Amino acid sequence: MMVKTKGPVPGILISIAAFAMVLGFSACGQKEENSTEFKPGLSTETTCSIKVAGSYSNFESLESEFERFYEYYPNVSLNYVFLDDYENTIAKALRSDEAPDIFVTASWMLDDDKMSPILDNAEILSDPALKIDLNCIRKGARWTLENGDVIMLPIFTRSYGMLVNMDIFEKNGLKVPNNYSELVDVCDKLKAAGYETPVMGANGTTVAGMYYAFAFPMFCNNVIRNPESVVQLNAMEKSAGEMMRPALLRLKTFVDSGYLNPDRCSEEIEDDYNAVIMRFFEGDVPMMLGSGDMVSGTMKRESKSEKFMNSPFKYKFYVVPLGDDGGYFLDAVNLFFSVNKNSSNLDMTNEFIRFLMREKELGNMAAIKRLITPTNDFSLDEVYSSLEGFPEDKAFSYQETGLNDAVNKEFRAAAYKVANGIMTVDEAIGAYGSLWDK
Amino acid sequence: MKKTQVIAINIVIMALILFFIIQYTNTKMNESNKSAIEAFEKMTVSAEQIVTNYLLDEQHLCDIWSNYINRSAEAGSPMTAEEAISFIRKAKISPDIYGHLIYPDDPLKNGISTHRGLTDTADYSVSYRNINLFENLNNISTEDGVVSLTRAYTNPQNGIQSIAFMNFVSVLDETTGELKKALLMRVEPVSTLKDKLVFFNGEYESVEISLINSDGDYLVHGKSLKNSNFYEYYKSYNHADSIGYKKMVDEVTSELGTMKMFNSKGEECIISHIPLKSLNTWFLLAYIPSRELAASTVVDWLLLGMVTLGLLILLVFNYLILMIYNRKLSEAAEAANQANEAKSHFLSTMSHDIRTPMNAILGLNEMVLRDSHEKEIIVYSESIRTAGKTLLGLINEILDFSKIEAGKMDIINVDYSFVSMLNDLVNMVQSKAEDKGLVLNLDVDRDIPMVLNGDEIRIKQVITNILSNAVKYTKEGSITFRAGFEKAEEDSGSIKLIISVRDTGIGIKPEDMKRLFMAFERIEENKNRNIEGTGLGMSIAQSFLNMMGSHIEVESEYGKGSVFSFKLVQGVKDWTPIGDYEETFRKHVSERKKYQETFTAPEARLLVVDDTQVNLSVFENLLKRTKVQIDTAISGDEAIVLYRVRHYDVIFLDHMMPDKDGIDTLKEMKEITDTPNTGTPVVCFTANAISGMREMYINAGFDDYITKPVDPFRLEAILLKYIPKEKIAPVSKNDGEEDNNIPDFIFGIETLDVDTGLKHCGNREAYLGTLEMYVDAAPKNTDDIEKYWASGDIKNTTVKIHALKSTSRLIGAAKLGDFAARLEKAGEAGDTDTLEREIGELLDQYRKLIKKLEPLSDIKKEVEDERPVISEEDMKKAYTDIREFCASFDYDSVGNIVESLEGYRFPGDEAERFDALKKAVDNFDYDLIPELLSD
Repeated sequence: MMVKTKGPVPGILISIAAFAMVLGFSACGQKEENSTEFKPGLSTETTCSIKVAGSYSNFESLESEFERFYEYYPNVSLNYVFLDDYENTIAKALRSDEAPDIFVTASWMLDDDKMSPILDNAEILSDPALKIDLNCIRKGARWTLENGDVIMLPIFTRSYGMLVNMDIFEKNGLKVPNNYSELVDVCDKLKAAGYETPVMGANGTTVAGMYYAFAFPMFCNNVIRNPESVVQLNAMEKSAGEMMRPALLRLKTFVDSGYLNPDRCSEEIEDDYNAVIMRFFEGDVPMMLGSGDMVSGTMKRESKSEKFMNSPFKYKFYVVPLGDDGGYFLDAVNLFFSVNKNSSNLDMTNEFIRFLMREKELGNMAAIKRLITPTNDFSLDEVYSSLEGFPEDKAFSYQETGLNDAVNKEFRAAAYKVANGIMTVDEAIGAYGSLWDK
Repeated sequence: MKKTQVIAINIVIMALILFFIIQYTNTKMNESNKSAIEAFEKMTVSAEQIVTNYLLDEQHLCDIWSNYINRSAEAGSPMTAEEAISFIRKAKISPDIYGHLIYPDDPLKNGISTHRGLTDTADYSVSYRNINLFENLNNISTEDGVVSLTRAYTNPQNGIQSIAFMNFVSVLDETTGELKKALLMRVEPVSTLKDKLVFFNGEYESVEISLINSDGDYLVHGKSLKNSNFYEYYKSYNHADSIGYKKMVDEVTSELGTMKMFNSKGEECIISHIPLKSLNTWFLLAYIPSRELAASTVVDWLLLGMVTLGLLILLVFNYLILMIYNRKLSEAAEAANQANEAKSHFLSTMSHDIRTPMNAILGLNEMVLRDSHEKEIIVYSESIRTAGKTLLGLINEILDFSKIEAGKMDIINVDYSFVSMLNDLVNMVQSKAEDKGLVLNLDVDRDIPMVLNGDEIRIKQVITNILSNAVKYTKEGSITFRAGFEKAEEDSGSIKLIISVRDTGIGIKPEDMKRLFMAFERIEENKNRNIEGTGLGMSIAQSFLNMMGSHIEVESEYGKGSVFSFKLVQGVKDWTPIGDYEETFRKHVSERKKYQETFTAPEARLLVVDDTQVNLSVFENLLKRTKVQIDTAISGDEAIVLYRVRHYDVIFLDHMMPDKDGIDTLKEMKEITDTPNTGTPVVCFTANAISGMREMYINAGFDDYITKPVDPFRLEAILLKYIPKEKIAPVSKNDGEEDNNIPDFIFGIETLDVDTGLKHCGNREAYLGTLEMYVDAAPKNTDDIEKYWASGDIKNTTVKIHALKSTSRLIGAAKLGDFAARLEKAGEAGDTDTLEREIGELLDQYRKLIKKLEPLSDIKKEVEDERPVISEEDMKKAYTDIREFCASFDYDSVGNIVESLEGYRFPGDEAERFDALKKAVDNFDYDLIPELLSD
């Protein structure tokens, strides 16, 4: 089986053409129904039961779509099933008598040969006969096999950036910065206004930590501009560490200027998810670095924060404008759906997928989950409204860089160490390949 | 009742019926719902039993396995794990049921299974490493019959959602050779359990059975219950606070019961809940949309709808019928109104149309009266005047009444002199009262303000009416007119005028009081038929007062008299008190008497217009000696008739008159071109004595202005100003003396009241004639009285004294008359003593009076008799007639003939005979007449 992956990595059986996706969707179903009302393609009297299996213990946004689908097919019963130990049990479930019709997949599964039985069961959804509108998915969220087939459809995406407390900006007459110089200017003004560290986040090495959100998209952009470096970076060649310099320097400057204080962050923010959100809701942090998951977690935590409930404020997600001409939108799919090609109700399952793959439904699900929709329509959730019309040349997915996971980890470690004063920028660059502490 | 009220009552009744039906339906619906819920709860109990039975059965099977394995261990021949699984593999029947043997102490939670892995045919191992399932191993009971159940989880071997019944077993550890505790799991697909619950869908189409643990996590759940946790689901779609949430959790986890909640679509649904008997920590929930349970009550709503519709149709039907009736009624009412309006219009038009020719008749009659010298014509003309004025009065009343009925009568407030109004009223009533021999008493508060503001004409009309009625219905006694006032409480610029008229008349019966103010009603019609009137007067007066915010009050005692009174708020323009009105009035009358005209103008002719007859009379009398010819008119219209045909030197025109006031009349006069009066000065004759009025009247077109009561000197000045000089002559000495002037010596006789005599006789001529007759008859009378008295003929003595009484009173010798009356009474009573004692004195007084009157016969002789000589033929015919009337005792006719004969001179001896005849008539000595005429 040919699947797309992050690059031609030795030992991985499946060869990938990482950038094939640019062309990939051109042959997909035409964008014919996206903006119009959904028109049922099957008899609306059809009675059947469809099961969706996934790793979320709770999937309210999907259940909401079930209800919307029932408006067209009232006799269909859709059911979401949480599988314990999903990675191990989904393959078995697919073989069982109670195999799910739709199952959750993830990009990493493409790289894992253990997962190949799962993907083997996935239906090719780019088949024009299915009339699924794949064009509604934006460029950075599309995943296509080398052969042009699409077997995984993005449902949610996430990015990395910062939550901005709009009330603080408004109160101080400030505009959300669009580029690095504006960012520095805003930080100066905020400091002058009494916000000691205008930017905060979780001081850690995870992708949800602040350094990843702050500097990693800039590093990726540098790699994309210099594609020749990819092989060396993936091979952990020391000299390739130089690619990290621009991003690390900006980080270092930020820390040195006092705009970002790792020690204070460690003290006040215990973890990279719940604590980040709760700290942000205290209302005195102008910019809180984090991942899309952090944004997703805000909705349910608003009511849990006494401070926020007492004095609520408006907040939005922005990418960090670390580049001279702005920030970078690092697009990452959070969750895919694949269809069990052996489903006993394949037609209705495909009908449901056709229903779901529309800007309206995907936007609706994303808004409920407060993750980023995989389409270009960001209108359904104001928190992500800054992404509307984001320049395409500065929006890319991680897989576009062709970098492997190890490079990702090396950068995170470098950033952490530079920011916390464990290494200088030069030391970190020099230590590339051995920065990640296992 | 108004249409809207009828509809409102209908709607209220409808609403009450509907309310009752709704209440009844609701009660029934609640009962129905209650029983539906009870039935649903029963179904829940059944489901719980099925589930419990199933769980107990499955647990029992698990326990059989564990018991067998444990028995082996207890018996000293423990099974190895492999042997145990091998035993289970053989013991279990269904291929869908897995047996797992796990070592709970193994951190990786590894074990072996009855089934091979899906991928590796030789691999029987199973691992729960990544499945969080054994947190509470201590809770697993080793006792038989106690269900130890996992949550729903994914069977790590086949990826199927399953549940597992558990028990502990002791197996032989082959490496150590010792017994080892292991957990035996009978793993079954959740779908098996679900299948057991499908059974209920036959009874309730949309029922969904779910099983939750005490944390709300589902073991199984239906399509409608979302989320992985029931409590979370409840929180998402039901806005419950923490107390409500806790209450819900307590309720669901307590005992059998039912609760309502909203599902994800916001629809109301019912959850029946019951704890599983076999497992205290598991609960069965039966979910159903409320509408499915409530479906059976649709019929009641249909009933309600039909009843509502029926009532509405009934309402519309009734409304239509009501509308038809109403239309008919309003048509009838309209017709009645039109008829009434036609009547009013007819009355108004008729009255008006009659008035115009009446004015012409009266006006022209007035001219006849002035111009005619024939006695008979004057008598007829006087009758026409009296009848005409009565008729005009009636017509005016009808006109007023029709105006009031048509709502066209307006109250027009003006400033007026209260004294002036009083003057008009008193003048009017005084003459009428005197005519009837009634005494008019005045009681006028001297502090009444001088100038008031109100509708003078209407107030005057009201009081006139009351006063006229008082005179009309009083035969003897007095009429007392009172005018007083009190300050108005609400307005400092006003007073409350209090007017009352008390009479000693016939009075009103209490039962007639109600009819007093009714139009066209006349009380005691039979008795009062001789009293003219329309029966509108009081009704009109009351209407006027009502329009002015007042009303007439009546106190009356039948046969004794009545008091009519009213109180009326009037504005005050001048607070100066009117002073002693009676004195003022008396002074005014005497001034009028004292007035001696300084000129005569027999050629001059005036027109005086006033709606009050008395004012006209006063005016005429004032100018009598000036010999000015005066025409009077009682209304504007009547004046216009005269204005068209006869030239006048001056016209006096009253301002305030009903219908056509002075200004309107003047305007109309000025528009007339075909008249001999172009350029005739018109003087405003008004009671309006306010300063600034003169300018007003001059501006209105009047040439001058004179106020009432008329100041004779001012009147004379005006006449001298406007009457052409050539028509004016100075007063000659004789002008003041009439031919039959009463000689001064008569005024000097103390025992004689000339005024009374004049009043009784009508005029001076008649008075002088009467005096002469009195003197002439005296010798015979005294002789007769003495003669009859001497012969003891008391009867004839009394008759003669009676004659003396009447004639003495007639000439104004009241004292002598009274003396005679006393003796007459004595004679009638046969009181000869009194006669004996006083008859001499009576005759003495009689003779004294005659003695004083004797010069009269000398004067008479001086007057040359200018009467025509009667023809012999006429004389004989007259004598024959007198004889015949005497024979038939018609002495009135005898009197008439004698009176008519007085206009002739009798030749020679016949004169003596006629004088004797006249004396006999005057002395009522009718027996003598045939004797005188015998030859």
